[in-house]
Amino acid sequence: MMYLELQNLLPLYFEESKKQTSEIWGKDLRFEKGEMIKIIAPSGSGKSSLTHFIYGTRQEYSGTISYDGKNIRDLSVENFASWRKDHMSIVFQDLRLLPEQTVLENIDIKRQLNPYHPVEKIEQMAKRLGIGKKLSSKAKTCSYGEQQRVAIIRALMQPFEFLMLDEPFSHLDNNNRITAMELMMEEAHSRGAAIIFADLERADFFPYTKLFYL
Amino acid sequence: MQTGTKASSRWFSYIGLGAGVLLLLVSVQMFINLDQLLNKVNTRKNGFDFISISKKINDENQSVKSVFTKQEIDELRTKPFVDGVAPLMANEFRVHVEASGIFGTDLFLETLENEFIDTVPKSFQWAQGQMIVPLIISSDFLEAYNVFAPGNGLPQMSSTTAERLPIIIECSGQGKQLTFQARIVAFSDRINSVLVPKPFLDWANQNLGEASEEGATRIFIKTKDANNPDFLSYLDHKNYLINKDKTRLGRTKQTLQAVFSGLGVFGVLVVVMALMLFSFYLQLLIARSRDNLQLLLLLGYSPSWLSKNVSKRFIPVYIFIVLAALAVTQILQWAFHHTVMYDRPELSSAINWIVIVIAIGLIILSIITNYRLVRRLLYRLY
Repeated sequence: MMYLELQNLLPLYFEESKKQTSEIWGKDLRFEKGEMIKIIAPSGSGKSSLTHFIYGTRQEYSGTISYDGKNIRDLSVENFASWRKDHMSIVFQDLRLLPEQTVLENIDIKRQLNPYHPVEKIEQMAKRLGIGKKLSSKAKTCSYGEQQRVAIIRALMQPFEFLMLDEPFSHLDNNNRITAMELMMEEAHSRGAAIIFADLERADFFPYTKLFYL
Repeated sequence: MQTGTKASSRWFSYIGLGAGVLLLLVSVQMFINLDQLLNKVNTRKNGFDFISISKKINDENQSVKSVFTKQEIDELRTKPFVDGVAPLMANEFRVHVEASGIFGTDLFLETLENEFIDTVPKSFQWAQGQMIVPLIISSDFLEAYNVFAPGNGLPQMSSTTAERLPIIIECSGQGKQLTFQARIVAFSDRINSVLVPKPFLDWANQNLGEASEEGATRIFIKTKDANNPDFLSYLDHKNYLINKDKTRLGRTKQTLQAVFSGLGVFGVLVVVMALMLFSFYLQLLIARSRDNLQLLLLLGYSPSWLSKNVSKRFIPVYIFIVLAALAVTQILQWAFHHTVMYDRPELSSAINWIVIVIAIGLIILSIITNYRLVRRLLYRLY
């Protein structure tokens, strides 16, 4: 996938007037590979709606979203699955881990789907983000901050052209945020991929090429 | 996925499936056994059975002449299990027979198409003007004669002697009397009558016949299988009387096949029930693992890949169940052949290929139905 287009997008549950104040809702936008996109989205502005619309998990919107010119509403279930497997990775705000599985299993389940890294890479990344000792613990026993780092590493296990981050650092201190962001930047560069980073406020450690207020 | 709890419903469905499949396979095998057994017993040299039928005479229709009409014969001809029909035509004049002073009696003459007679020598021919009439008589008649001959001071005869015996036939009717010489040219095991060549009887009936009867009282049917249940039920339905000996096995076959059909249908029902039970179990399983499966789908696992994976866990079990049932069927067939049928050559100790094909079909069916079910359930989660 080379580019992502949003055309006149608006959640069905938002009023038309939102289009006046937002830089994304109701606009025609095109995101290309390699771009660093920062979206500043205060509470209630529809940040999670946007990430879910783009990832294809929710459809309550007007307007169109297309990958490489193809409307995603026309993608079959199987095509969507293969698109998520090969082209787009995501860190959800609510993380979505398997609580009964260990940290390692949670990460490896994504790696096995379409391996971009060898399994040893999981341990390296975990150490770098400070959860190296947690690999064999069940996900539900980890703190929320630890779980956020698990979700970040999991997102880096597959090939992608777009990496979407939905408020990925809410429970991390500043040092940990910077380390995690560095790791993600490296991984995106090695793939020539774009990062779409949606957060409540400005983040100084993210060298964006485009900035939008939602 | 969590599969630990509620394993009992899974085991019930496995056992049910095994029992159903076994029942089905054994029924099919026994059905085939019966078929092989009864077809081999009745196979004639040329592969056909010839049987005579007449109309049932009972108190109600005693006064009515029970002859076959042309329509009835034509109808018989159209039936798939009938390969040929020939009426047995009788004389319509008086016949008196003298056998070189040994005995004399009034007799009947009949004729049948040559194709239906088991022994037809070249000499069994007659043309107008020919004074010697060839006869084919039932070998039962010769046997009966030899039984009562000594008691009446008559010489016993071999079939060769009988064929040399000079016979005089006196035919009378329409105020005329004609005398012919006759020779027995063959004995028939099949036809219980005194047969003359058709041209002779046609000619004589025309010249001496008193009444012109429509139809025949007896007709011969040529069929591939006198034990064909369709054939027998057709005859029953039409109230036709038939040579019982030749079809007694057929009646047994009819009954047994009905029994095994019933068992087979029951087997199919059990298989269906077991598959349904298993599908409920799968639905339960998927409902309980709903969150995990949903997450896997979210991460990019495709529904068809997941359903293949879920199905893969059950496929070996299905294959094992059906193969086990097939093995038990094989053991039962061997035991049946060896102990009940004393290794009769018509049957085989090995199960029939049709049974194996059905077993493979069942494996494919169960795999496909479950795969489709899982896939449908997963698509619903997407």
